[in-house]
Amino acid sequence: MTGIPLRLNPYRDLFLIFIWREFSIRYRQSIIGVLWAILQPLSMMLLFTFIFTYIMPMHITDYPYVLFFYAGLLPWSFFSSSLNYAIPSLTNHYNLITKIYFPREILPLSGVAVAFIDFGFASIVYVLLLILFKAKISWNIFWFVPLFILLLVFTASVALVLSALNVYYRDVKLASGFLIQLWFFASPVFYSIDRLSLKLKLILFLNPLTFIIENMRRCVIEGRGVVWWQFLFMTVFVSLLFSLSYKFFMVTERKFADVI
Amino acid sequence: MIVLKDVWKRYYRHHIFHRSLREDIISLFKRKQRQGLEKNEFWALKGVSFEVKKGECVGLYGPNGAGKSTILKLIAKVTYPTRGTISVDGRVAPLIEIGAGFHLDLTGRENIHINGAILGMRINEIKRKIPAIVDFSELNEFIDMPVKKYSSGMYLRLAFSIAIHSDADIFLIDEILAVGDEAFQEKCLDKIQNLKKQGKTMIVVTHNRKLMEEVADEIIFIEKGEVIDTSSLATLYSKLKHTK
Repeated sequence: MTGIPLRLNPYRDLFLIFIWREFSIRYRQSIIGVLWAILQPLSMMLLFTFIFTYIMPMHITDYPYVLFFYAGLLPWSFFSSSLNYAIPSLTNHYNLITKIYFPREILPLSGVAVAFIDFGFASIVYVLLLILFKAKISWNIFWFVPLFILLLVFTASVALVLSALNVYYRDVKLASGFLIQLWFFASPVFYSIDRLSLKLKLILFLNPLTFIIENMRRCVIEGRGVVWWQFLFMTVFVSLLFSLSYKFFMVTERKFADVI
Repeated sequence: MIVLKDVWKRYYRHHIFHRSLREDIISLFKRKQRQGLEKNEFWALKGVSFEVKKGECVGLYGPNGAGKSTILKLIAKVTYPTRGTISVDGRVAPLIEIGAGFHLDLTGRENIHINGAILGMRINEIKRKIPAIVDFSELNEFIDMPVKKYSSGMYLRLAFSIAIHSDADIFLIDEILAVGDEAFQEKCLDKIQNLKKQGKTMIVVTHNRKLMEEVADEIIFIEKGEVIDTSSLATLYSKLKHTK
């Protein structure tokens, strides 16, 4: 794994240029521009709040629904839009991959980076909501940073594997919309696993996003901390996953130009 | 310095690559690679060996499908040989189908940044070279216009200008003078001669006799994935005359 910085370092300018390019292409000829980054989690949050307040009045949490949903949608949007950018990133750049050498992971990873910029904009709204609803902030809010790093590394792993597989089988792209939708319901975005039985919790924890999203919400709006041993376990798991994913990418990368 | 030693390259004819992915995974655990051909596979290169010294300009000559572009891809490290070894010393700038990295919605100037970076330039380097690149392309008035509004000639001129301003040591030039008016072609030839004088290594693929004549020190004949002859220009033409 120590090889990665060594391998990418000569290409850091290309990486920056790709991020800038993706970002500027996306909002070109668009009227509201980067507001799109905020609109998606914001409108979903409003929709959920409306549904669970009026259509299906349900007690989900003691915290304001607006905060609760937004806290889950923020990391979720980062994850799903990362995948949406990253999965077709290699096949979209078919004409580069068959002609010029550069470390191919730059393409899916710049997709993740662009989603990170969106995440930054959407976070501004989060901060405003926290102030507006007078959330009780405690020191535990700093857990948000290591949790986000976990999310970032996990997202990058999934992005690397799925984008590489998509070079071989376009089925990945076709399945991705559906897969992301399933994943959404399997993650505690609009529900909490707090009151579930231990057995159910363990099953849901098979999905790393469950741990990440649940705890990101806890440490910010509920002011609770993260269980250390769980965090350590997740860190080891996600690191292993990342190194395996990277390895997979490097092996398949050699044939991209031949099979794309 | 470029050295190809007994290079073989196998390709698949099919669209789906189940076997390929499976093999890649299995080969993680296995040392020995499959050597033969299976159904729907063919050899694009069959034991190609040659050397190009630093500062030399070599032309690849042969009919379509002979494997010339495959050789360029191998030198550019876009693909890897099935058998044999390739060693390439120095930074490679492939001028293969120029403008591959252009994005139509972005302006000429923005595309210079992108294509420059793809060719391995640093951001500072690109900023420094932009005036020279724009000048060479003669697109001063149009440089802040989206590339989608360019004519194909303008497009080519911009792409060529970027590529030629790269600091690479090795240039791979694949049939690039097919478009563009005569005056610009002339300018490109001058620039290529110029790069040659600076000691850049070049590999040229073209059916354009004039270009070959002007730049290549040596010509390698390739047919059906094999090197059939290596010779200097003089012997090539005497042979060509002989066969005619």
